[in-house]
Amino acid sequence: MRTVVLASLRTHTRRYVAAALAVVIGVAFVVTTAALSSATRDGLTRGVSAPYDGADVVATDLVGRDAAALVAAAEEDGAEGAEASVLGWASLPVRRDGRTLDGVDEVAQVTTTPTLRWPELVDGAFPAGAGEAVVDAGAAERADLGVGDELSIGQGDRATDVRVVGLVDSPSQLVRADVYVTWADLAPYADELYVDSLAWAGGTDALTDAVPHATVQDARGYVEEVTAEINRGVDVVAILLLLFASIALFVSVLVISNTFSILFAQRQRDFALLRCVGATRRQVLRSVRLEALVLGLVASATGLAAGTAAGLAIVAVVDSRFPTADLGSASVSPGWYAGAAVTGVVVTLVAAWLPTRRVTAVSPLAALRPDTGIDARTAAGRTRVALGVAALVGGAGLLALSVSTTSPLVMVVGGTTAFSGVLLLGPLLVPALIGFTGRAASRVLGTPGRLATGNAVRHPRRTAATTASLLIGVTLTTAVLTGMASARGAVDDEMDASHPLDATLTAGGAGLPDRAVDAVRAVDGVDDVLAVPGVRADVGALGAVAVLGRPADVAAITRGPGTVLEVGDDEILLSYDLVSGREVPNRVEVTVDGRTERLRTVLGEGWGSAALVSASTLAALTDTPMTTALWVRADDGADAGALADGLDAVAAGLGASAGGGFAERGYVDLQLDVVTGAVVGLLGIAVVIALIGIANTLGLSVLERGREHALLRALGLTRRQLRTMLGLEAVLLSVVATVLGTVIGTSFAWVGVQAMVRSVVPEAPLVLPLGQLAVVVLVSAAAGLLACVLPARRAARVSPAAGLALD
Amino acid sequence: MTSTLSPPGTPPGPPTGPPAATARGLTRTYGRGDAAVHALRGVDLDLPRGRFTAIMGPSGSGKSTLMHCLAGLDVPDAGTVAVAGVALESLDDTALTLFRREHVGFVFQSFNLLPMLTAQQNVVLPLDLAGRRPDPARLAEVVDTLGLRDRLGHRPSELSGGQQQRVAIARALVAQPAIVFADEPTGNLDSESSAEVLGFLRRSVRELGQTVVMVTHEVDAAAYADDVVVIADGAVRAHLVDPGADVLLATLRGDR
Repeated sequence: MRTVVLASLRTHTRRYVAAALAVVIGVAFVVTTAALSSATRDGLTRGVSAPYDGADVVATDLVGRDAAALVAAAEEDGAEGAEASVLGWASLPVRRDGRTLDGVDEVAQVTTTPTLRWPELVDGAFPAGAGEAVVDAGAAERADLGVGDELSIGQGDRATDVRVVGLVDSPSQLVRADVYVTWADLAPYADELYVDSLAWAGGTDALTDAVPHATVQDARGYVEEVTAEINRGVDVVAILLLLFASIALFVSVLVISNTFSILFAQRQRDFALLRCVGATRRQVLRSVRLEALVLGLVASATGLAAGTAAGLAIVAVVDSRFPTADLGSASVSPGWYAGAAVTGVVVTLVAAWLPTRRVTAVSPLAALRPDTGIDARTAAGRTRVALGVAALVGGAGLLALSVSTTSPLVMVVGGTTAFSGVLLLGPLLVPALIGFTGRAASRVLGTPGRLATGNAVRHPRRTAATTASLLIGVTLTTAVLTGMASARGAVDDEMDASHPLDATLTAGGAGLPDRAVDAVRAVDGVDDVLAVPGVRADVGALGAVAVLGRPADVAAITRGPGTVLEVGDDEILLSYDLVSGREVPNRVEVTVDGRTERLRTVLGEGWGSAALVSASTLAALTDTPMTTALWVRADDGADAGALADGLDAVAAGLGASAGGGFAERGYVDLQLDVVTGAVVGLLGIAVVIALIGIANTLGLSVLERGREHALLRALGLTRRQLRTMLGLEAVLLSVVATVLGTVIGTSFAWVGVQAMVRSVVPEAPLVLPLGQLAVVVLVSAAAGLLACVLPARRAARVSPAAGLALD
Repeated sequence: MTSTLSPPGTPPGPPTGPPAATARGLTRTYGRGDAAVHALRGVDLDLPRGRFTAIMGPSGSGKSTLMHCLAGLDVPDAGTVAVAGVALESLDDTALTLFRREHVGFVFQSFNLLPMLTAQQNVVLPLDLAGRRPDPARLAEVVDTLGLRDRLGHRPSELSGGQQQRVAIARALVAQPAIVFADEPTGNLDSESSAEVLGFLRRSVRELGQTVVMVTHEVDAAAYADDVVVIADGAVRAHLVDPGADVLLATLRGDR
């Protein structure tokens, strides 16, 4: 029997390529995941201990003011040798020659104490005191900085000038910054400092005295804890990636299973002949299972190699393109390799199990019957239909339940059950849909269209399995796209409420000159500018602040409905950054040149560093309001960084301050884009496998129908018509799967929005990203066409006479 | 079965006018070097119009290759073929395909019909492919002649072998081609169905005025034909016009 297995593998190698490819991709996915997570882990944990090497204890749960207190305490305690190093950073504009540097904004402390100084010097020297700074080598390269450059850090009257005296490498990724200055220069920004931790050398009494609520722990214990936390974080990401890998592997199962089904159907006579010449049922079964095993082993081995190569390549590319990502070295442990290989082989064997069982049903007589062509009309069995309907109804019920209970778990179970129902009903559902679509297509394309439709639904189960693989990928992709679009709609509404204005420019002194409007209008990305009248007034204990009168035509410039900037005649809106943590009474007196209004205070944000009153209140306060702020609406596609830089430059020239929500809005949008892109990209792997499956089914069917095609050619089907016919068959398969997947995916997204988003944001409408969905359909139709290129070429090349002579 | 089956009429007499198909110096070789098989070695042949011609010869004599070349299904290495006055070597693949569906009909030994189409759809397939509507009178004539009236809605898997072959003959005849080629049309049939199919082929010549060329290795089948071309080792041995059974047998025996 071994001769038979080997000979048949040799003969059918090319027919197994697609099935093998599906396994290879799945296994490679797993291995690449392992390689990338190991590199990430290595990069994150490497150097984690560096900042704490000279420390005795580490203090955490600190805010900037606590850190300042501790640094002061350490200095007082100096005689006993206590030292503190603040690990954290403030996001501050860094300018050189008046221009804000792009991508250089994290400013942190570097201590003058050598034992606690953790960055590694690559050029120049460490700062000896105030006015000196070192710059991270990566940041220096990005912004073209060098030793000797003069930088201005921060805004307004707190801006500090420093000179770059050295370049450093930052071994720890957790607390790295772009620019390191001594505490003297950082102290003014202590309130804005994000403190990750504080390394402390010396006795802890002074520490606990200064900040009693700080969490203090042994330095080594802290490093171990942080390392463990990173590992957990990386593991979570790896598990998420493996979830996508398992989707890809499940799709592979469908593709492989289909390949075996078709191959075995084509080889039915061979099997019958083997039975005729004396092979037992068991021998035939064992021989085909052995074939599956060999396929699984070869494909898994290839997958391991491909996955390792892909992992190393991605790490190398990321390292060279994004030096700040700082991945470590990739290594895949033997455990991962073994796991991936076993998964690949098991997936292949599982996929081959059902088709191989059917092989043994063939009777020896089948070999002796004249071949009338394979007309295996496989249809949906009654059990299958019953199960499918039950799963569909049950799943739909669970989904409905999840909407009313907003339970994600019920939703996932319901979605999976309902989708299984759809897959089970595939042999009924998909041919019906293809028949329907095909009838429309035949009207345009005539006989080739009708033939293609007939061919596409000839083996309902085969058709269903082929489309199922694509259906899974498309359903998940459209669900994610629609879900994210809806979530984005909800987030946008939130952003509209919290950031009604894209950008603001608020006068620092008394009013803005008329040329300011033109200067702002000239900034790249500015769509419209509104001059806001106001006056400089004394507001309670806050002192002199810019008080703006709400312009009547504010709706023209705000995002969203604009109702957020409503202010009553007896109210004054104070922005959080104006108040900056101070207690504000319920009512304040607002005074301008002896005229006083007593107003109710309301805290909020979104209109810059100013107070906002109604137009009539402003009129009561002053008869001569001046343009005190400019409110800006940005072009929708404007570059947030360039806009902020441009406004900053204008503001600096006028002694005004710039602000606004456009950058934040852009940042949130970017986050959503990144998540959507990553998920769609990962699902894309499953879609690619599914398309390989379609090409495979089509390719194998073309081999099977060689004589039919020859007959059609003899009867007058031109080469072009033959190619049209096969192309249409592929497009019918892919488009029906895609449209069905889009419908199911959108419904799932609706349920998801109802069950999850609506529990957080009550008014979350379902947003259909029609453009993206159209792209999905078009891409899969195009991919379907692509999938048929090779089989169609092979089919069209055969001359009618040669085709008729085929066995 | 149809009750209008008339006793075989007299042969239409010796051929007149231009032949339906001609071949000159036809050569076809498969493979190369030692493995080369010379299927045809310079065949010259005229197939008369309005006659039922059988091409006979043992297995491997090249009779199927000859038919494929005559029908434009295969391209000869050398020599020329003209069908209905058109030189096939002057046509490219698409033109050849269009020529086939306009002027040539086929009946094959097996796997004749497309399994997903009904009998009627199979019959009108060549017209469908050409984008033509079947002439209802012609369709009815052919369908009735072949006794397929009550089988039109069936799929091939629901038809017997003889019925399938009759559908194939109807398909070959419906477009009124200049010439019909039949490749071992009775190869897969029992003797009763064979007789029936051969009878229909002969009637299509007698009553519908078609030209039919049939490749066979069965003497019984050849006996239904008007003329017999005997092929051996890739060359024409004899072209017998209206041979009696004894002449035919003698010729074949002489070849052995």
